[in-house]
Amino acid sequence: MIPTPVQLGGLMAWGTVVGLDLVSAPQGLLSRPIVAATVAGWIMGNLPGGLVAGMTLELYALDVLPIGASRYPDYSVAAVASGVASALAPDGVSAGMAGLVGLPLAALGGWTLQALRRRNALSVHRRLDRVSRGDGRAIWELQRNGFLRDGLRSFGLSALGIGLALPVALVPWQRFPHANALSWAVVAGGIAATFGGAMRSAGAGARRRWLGVGLVVGLAVVLLR
Amino acid sequence: MKARTEALLRLMAVQASYTYERMLGIGVGHASAPLLRDVFATRTVRERRDAVARSADFFNSHPYLAGVAVGAEVRAEQQGVPGAMISRLRMALSGPLGSLGDQLIWAGWVPALIGATLVLAPWAGIWAIVTLVLVHNLLRFWVMSWGLDLGLREGLQVGAALQRSWLPRVADDAQRVAAFAVGLALPIVAWRLLVGANHVGAAITIATGVIGAVLTLLPATRRRITGLRIGLVLLGLAVLYVGGTS
Repeated sequence: MIPTPVQLGGLMAWGTVVGLDLVSAPQGLLSRPIVAATVAGWIMGNLPGGLVAGMTLELYALDVLPIGASRYPDYSVAAVASGVASALAPDGVSAGMAGLVGLPLAALGGWTLQALRRRNALSVHRRLDRVSRGDGRAIWELQRNGFLRDGLRSFGLSALGIGLALPVALVPWQRFPHANALSWAVVAGGIAATFGGAMRSAGAGARRRWLGVGLVVGLAVVLLR
Repeated sequence: MKARTEALLRLMAVQASYTYERMLGIGVGHASAPLLRDVFATRTVRERRDAVARSADFFNSHPYLAGVAVGAEVRAEQQGVPGAMISRLRMALSGPLGSLGDQLIWAGWVPALIGATLVLAPWAGIWAIVTLVLVHNLLRFWVMSWGLDLGLREGLQVGAALQRSWLPRVADDAQRVAAFAVGLALPIVAWRLLVGANHVGAAITIATGVIGAVLTLLPATRRRITGLRIGLVLLGLAVLYVGGTS
């Protein structure tokens, strides 16, 4: 199922929007994998495939606390590419393909965020004199340029990610009888990320007890389904 | 457009020119500009420019709570507080606004809402996602608006007003809800993603995940081993296995 030009245009636009949403604007949770990948799957005409990608990458994104100057992977555009890959893969391999495309792209996306911030700093230095004199126009230019730079970053990552995801449609899956091992590997890494992150965030007090209660209730739901 | 509305809209892009040197500084300067324009309408250009320069200096906080500092700074400028004192106010607000915001939002309501969405999404589908985005953005806009008004009302006293407010208490509660929601979601998501896997495959996956989590927590390994790195290594091994058995 090769996407039509309209679908490709929609995916590129959506990838750019979610990349901007992560840091620049509007920070409205559009960049969360569960949102970004599900909408990408919907654009591809396979919403359940996008949902699988969203759930998979969300396991990793829950480990991230974007605090202060911390450096973190960028799961936003990666989730859009994952949604495409997952939508093109057969059931059982969807999560694996989402991870295979999305995880390296998230690492690369995190690196581009650092580069963007360094470029923004250079831009501030060039206008330092005007900013120090209280020139409102210089401040507006810095905001506009930062936004445009992030848009360009997100557009480029989207093109790369979608380009990496599309060949999934050409894989002769019948030649790989154990391909579902890819999904198991990605889910195992996701469990490690979410569980480890939740334990760190919960600390040693009441929050860890609440985490334990949640885990027990979740396990009960699964076992009693 | 009213200055307050314009400031709120600009606060939604407060990190557009984020740098490690000034952090949110330029964005805060951009958001303060409409309010400062009104405050300095009857004063000299020099006074206004000094205030604009101060407003774009280094500043760090949670982006949703930056409005507290914008409001407090504008109020202080309106009252004619000396510039050095306003700069000290900004520095003093950076820590609490960052810490409280991170606790309430990044470690509180965001994982709580995501956990709830992960639990509901397999059944509610796209509606769970739509609800997540709507609820988050309503909460976020309300918090931004409340913060800006608190700053505009309290000025230099905003630190004490923050401590008296609902924020510290709710931040703690939100983290407990988040811990519960993430705990609840993890087994349900693993079950949904491993559907079709046999018992041995599921058991190996879960055991590997738990061992990986322990490695991310142990003092000897936690600095180098992250969830993403574990996922990438496991994926590499799986690719070799799948390729080798084709």
